[in-house]
Amino acid sequence: MRQIAMYGKGGIGKSTTTQNLTATLADMGNSILQIGCDPKADSTRMLVGGRRQPTVLDTLREVGAENVTLEEILHEGFKGIKCVEAGGPEPGVGCAGRGVITAIKLLEALGAYDEDLDLVFYDVLGDVVCGGFAMPMREGYAKEIYIVASGEMMALYAANNICKGIVKFAEEGEIRLGGIICNSRNVENELALVEAFSERIGSKLIHFVPRDNIVQQAEIRKKTVIEYDPTCNQADEYRTLARNILENDMFVVPEPITMDELESMMTEFGVVD
Amino acid sequence: MPLTLLECDIPIPEREKHTYIKKSGECIVPMCNVQTTPGDLTERGCTYAGCMGVVGGPVKDVIHLVHGPIGCAYYTWGGGRRQNLSDNPEFHRKYCFSTSMQEANIIFGGEQKLHKSILESYERFPDVNGVFVYATCVIGLIGDDINNVCKKASKEIGVPVIPFSCEGFRGVSQSLGHHIANDVIFDRIVGTKEPDEVTPYDINIIGDYNIQGDLWIIAPLFEAMGLRILCTFTGNASIDDLAMAHRAKLNVMHCQRSTPYICQLMEEKYELPYMPVSLFGIKQTSQALRDVASFFGLEEQAEMVIESEIAKVLPQIEYYKEKLKGKRVFIYQGAPRAWHWIKLMDELGMQVIGAATTFGHTDDYEKIIERIGDGALVIDNPNSLELKEILVKYKPDLFISGLKEKFLAYKLGVPFVNGHAYENGPYAVYSGFVNFARDMDMTMNHPAWKLIEGRT
Repeated sequence: MRQIAMYGKGGIGKSTTTQNLTATLADMGNSILQIGCDPKADSTRMLVGGRRQPTVLDTLREVGAENVTLEEILHEGFKGIKCVEAGGPEPGVGCAGRGVITAIKLLEALGAYDEDLDLVFYDVLGDVVCGGFAMPMREGYAKEIYIVASGEMMALYAANNICKGIVKFAEEGEIRLGGIICNSRNVENELALVEAFSERIGSKLIHFVPRDNIVQQAEIRKKTVIEYDPTCNQADEYRTLARNILENDMFVVPEPITMDELESMMTEFGVVD
Repeated sequence: MPLTLLECDIPIPEREKHTYIKKSGECIVPMCNVQTTPGDLTERGCTYAGCMGVVGGPVKDVIHLVHGPIGCAYYTWGGGRRQNLSDNPEFHRKYCFSTSMQEANIIFGGEQKLHKSILESYERFPDVNGVFVYATCVIGLIGDDINNVCKKASKEIGVPVIPFSCEGFRGVSQSLGHHIANDVIFDRIVGTKEPDEVTPYDINIIGDYNIQGDLWIIAPLFEAMGLRILCTFTGNASIDDLAMAHRAKLNVMHCQRSTPYICQLMEEKYELPYMPVSLFGIKQTSQALRDVASFFGLEEQAEMVIESEIAKVLPQIEYYKEKLKGKRVFIYQGAPRAWHWIKLMDELGMQVIGAATTFGHTDDYEKIIERIGDGALVIDNPNSLELKEILVKYKPDLFISGLKEKFLAYKLGVPFVNGHAYENGPYAVYSGFVNFARDMDMTMNHPAWKLIEGRT
């Protein structure tokens, strides 16, 4: 079982990319558990046809930790993907980070990590604001991280910061960076920039996913691209992404760069004048 | 001798800065009121403990609601040896209120549970005149808006609901908790009610917590001089007493570590002056009565009170003096009693060979050093190992400290008096001085010590 965590700047398209990726991997015959670690609880929406499923933490609050069952919180979606949403508090109250920790521990206690699973994916809230959101990186859960980024300054800035977190946890554990996924924003010179950035931090660009309106078209219909139109170009792009991840054997402790270095890269690649 | 390093502190040399041996003519104050040095197993409480346990808790007619996990509530309930007496014992310090925050409350926020807890506890005890809500560490972390919840609940139940943001991790000791409690009580309570009548002879006694009834022997002395006590802060105080405190003519300040803040705030806002006093022992108490009397022009009345009180206790004090003189004592208190009692020991012919405080500031240590004799040890925030070394090496005949240290002293065969919660107090003013002297005599001259191997 490979456990993989997806991180990246808020709004970069983590949930969209993750769902399209896991749908493709499932289509290729893999058995998958996907855990949404975001209080918004919309990480598996397209895999379950838009249904709102009860979250781990809502269920825990209603019936108490000792009465939660796997059946209540784990729902099969597209091609048998097991979908779980950790859930969490409304914005502005409580502690969502503590929620992630509690939800993962509870899932483990309930036996959600079935031995027959090929892949477990964690889709984590963009801004790793506290220790709770680093939970999937800790205690031997995920051992691989992919960072979703684009050629925009703030996306790379966030990716670089996430690398700093990985370095910290890599010292003690087995967590490694598997690569950068570019979810294109059609920024000038984007491929070259993200490729160069990935190499500069000692990793690689796993795949450049081009921008295609069909992703939105599918999303509106509460579907992933592979389900909506398996023959389109974008479906092939996700297949390439999926294959690159399956075949990936380059797992590194990243070497984050300084803010100055990042800014000079932006100039070098003509993104900033 | 300058700063010194105890033997047990060799692995923590930073403790040297906190340990001083008094020498006349020197101007050295041990380091104090700073973060605890790693390795030093400090006995300090936390900000929440200082806010609720010391200053807020003695208020007798409000629900003291601990917003946090249940453990925080138990350890400050006061069911053990906390002896802040009040005339409302059927309620005050009898019940313990907590929101008992649990995992799901932490994740989803504790505001609803707090709101419900306020309404529920008020429904059970509708005779109270207010609710004090104390925020523990986790509440600060998850950011519950306790101000807003308290405001809303107050409108619903019709009595003040007062939030204290006294999260335990703030500050370096419980001292910040005193300050927060002073500020909140001043901001939200003082000045919100007017007394039915005021007299030119109204005073407040600030900074006395009515340990075993201290205030019940302090107050009659001032009253016998013709003064009226409007408010005691906060021993045996009602929330209304606090609300009307601004109309007094003078704040008489006893504990000078936990209450100078509110005295200064009242002086600024209401032009209400304050006067620091020591109400322990014959000399200091008489001085205090004279100082207060001269403020009001009641000198003659004061002299009458002093004369009659001294006449009552002097024969007993003389009796104990014979039994206690020459005894060497080590005093370890929260802060001010360590210096209040140096002069009291002088009166009994005893010698203070060491003094320590848990959370004293520079001004407390300045007073200690001014009063204590040459060669005495002054140590800030001592830990158990340091205390043990002092008891063994300096061989005091008596150790005056709190409950935490009682059994350390007993195991070492050192006579002990609980100065925090008292043995058989009260210990304040004249009649309390007799109790104090009696308790010191009883422990030091007890035959049981001969049966204990103890320190060698």
